[in-house]
Amino acid sequence: MIFLFIALPLIVAGILPLVGKISKRFLPDLLANGVFAVLLACAVFALRPMIGNGPVVQQLSWLGESVNIRLVLDGFSLLMLFVVSLVSLAAGLFSIDYMEHYGGKANYYSLFLIMVAGMNGLVLTTDLFNIYLFLEVAAVASYALVAFGLEHDELEASFKYLMLSAVASGFILLSIAVIFGLTGGLSFEAVSSGLAGLDVKYPLAVCTAFFILGFGLKAALVPFHAWLPDAHPSAPAPISAMLSGLLIKVSGIYAMTRVFLSVFGLSPALSTVLMYLGVISMVVAAFLALGQKDIKRMLAYSSISQVGYIVLGIGLGTPLGILGGLFHLFNHALAKSLLFLNSGSIQQSTGTRNLDEMGGLAKRMPFTAATTLVGSLSIAGVPPLNGFWSKLIIIVALVQAKHWTFAVIAILTSVLTLWYYLLIQRKAFFGKLNERWKEVREAPFWMTAATLALALLCIVTGVLFALMVKDWIQPAADVLANGVQTTFSLLGF
Amino acid sequence: MILQIALLAGLVIFSALAVLARDLLKAAISLAVASLLLGILFFIMNAPYVGAFEISVVAGLITVLFMTTIALTKTEGNVRESKAARVAFPLFFIVFLIIDILVMKGLVGKIPAAASTPDQGTFGEALWKMRTFDLVGQIAVIFAGVFAVLALFRKRSKDE
Repeated sequence: MIFLFIALPLIVAGILPLVGKISKRFLPDLLANGVFAVLLACAVFALRPMIGNGPVVQQLSWLGESVNIRLVLDGFSLLMLFVVSLVSLAAGLFSIDYMEHYGGKANYYSLFLIMVAGMNGLVLTTDLFNIYLFLEVAAVASYALVAFGLEHDELEASFKYLMLSAVASGFILLSIAVIFGLTGGLSFEAVSSGLAGLDVKYPLAVCTAFFILGFGLKAALVPFHAWLPDAHPSAPAPISAMLSGLLIKVSGIYAMTRVFLSVFGLSPALSTVLMYLGVISMVVAAFLALGQKDIKRMLAYSSISQVGYIVLGIGLGTPLGILGGLFHLFNHALAKSLLFLNSGSIQQSTGTRNLDEMGGLAKRMPFTAATTLVGSLSIAGVPPLNGFWSKLIIIVALVQAKHWTFAVIAILTSVLTLWYYLLIQRKAFFGKLNERWKEVREAPFWMTAATLALALLCIVTGVLFALMVKDWIQPAADVLANGVQTTFSLLGF
Repeated sequence: MILQIALLAGLVIFSALAVLARDLLKAAISLAVASLLLGILFFIMNAPYVGAFEISVVAGLITVLFMTTIALTKTEGNVRESKAARVAFPLFFIVFLIIDILVMKGLVGKIPAAASTPDQGTFGEALWKMRTFDLVGQIAVIFAGVFAVLALFRKRSKDE
């Protein structure tokens, strides 16, 4: 059942180009979104009850003989699978109408599904080399998806993204090689127990630095963020939503958190480094976002800033901090995907991404305007939306740990965030309708449906945040708060 | 030792040439030579399978593919290239060398040499029994590569 999360998208990705020969639009739409819906249902109804008594290990067999494919599902990986399936479904539904004018839809969905399979594989594996491998699976698919429009900008952005991402992968691989040399193993438990018995402070510090560089590039933390403001706006809107909402979190934050907290163990020095990186990203990217005219670039900078919050919470390392970080990860995935999808609706209806050219669009696109408002306020942290609670938890955790300065900076950055999101509202939706947009219409059915669903989820998660935290976030935070103990408990399997 | 250093130096030089050469054909050949040297290094370091794969796939197969592609396509005028690359590359290379000498020299000494593991069976067994999950990842990467090429070189449909 767990393996389904990797196998199903891969198999469907393989047959889609053939299906595309028979039906150019309908069948690819149906199959791809069917896969996302099945995976989402599986995560909610089948996998969640499974982890009631701690992590579940699945060992696969091939023709009666067991093969070395071992997947581990715990609270943290389940949360990630859930988020990946949820956002993929929303972006997939949005693509039904949005991707019409791009052509090559079957091919697009194939790459989309491979990216999802890569992220799911990364989340389920317990082996350092497999982490690298699935990181590349998701990354290779995403390079092609960023360039899918085939215009000059898109190809250039994709190339820049490819280059910096290759550097990141190089550093991650180098670090994995050194760790393999030190411990003789690649599985989490072998590395964890190997490192516990060795006195290797210096090599481990170098590995940690390389991992921070590699995963920091993937997560686009400042100062490793240069590629993101080009790559994310250039991609088709559903892919921007997937990249900003999911990919940077899975291949950056998830992988980094798993390695640092569950395999290496979070040392005070590492915690400090992560917190500083988080705070710098948070503040610098928020200021950079303020000056943007392109709506998607502004959203991209905002992603970097919000990733800073997540890293700050997780880097703090206290159970409450981790809880807040993970909750913010979930909330940001919902809200930022929503906003990127809406930016796609605007771009399709008006043909521009420049905020200065817009104005008064709320009259012509009421649903888009309303859902954008929900997403913006959620990320800015306005109660009672979901983003408010996660930011509150992070700030309370900082105060509890007596990091007063960081807490104050987090609050002030939140005000800054609200400012640039209100700028989007004012320039794009409020005010007098620009004459040019008299004929503009609301986005087609599936695009509006996808954004409405995400906006509703933002509101519901905000109102029922206690339920959400208890059922999904707390089990994930518990896994991380246990530190390396979680990994040691796998030794028996 | 001297042989190894010579091979490593050659590897760096030909890799740099592969990036810096303006003529695509020369770049492809430099890459093939670099990969050949890397393959020989793998053989010297007792990793014959890796060496064989490196030479047959990267130096052989990929070079053939590159050359066929270059032969079948036409050059479309000069591509403008930023002059900064000419300055940035050597600068970056020197910085990298300094970091390399400072960090790696200390690091390599501290990593215990991996014990040779004759009892782990043949290459096929290691791949099939110990690293099965890697095969799934490999399949996914190949899929991703193939679909990426299909997507990026697709013909725009007529209604656009």
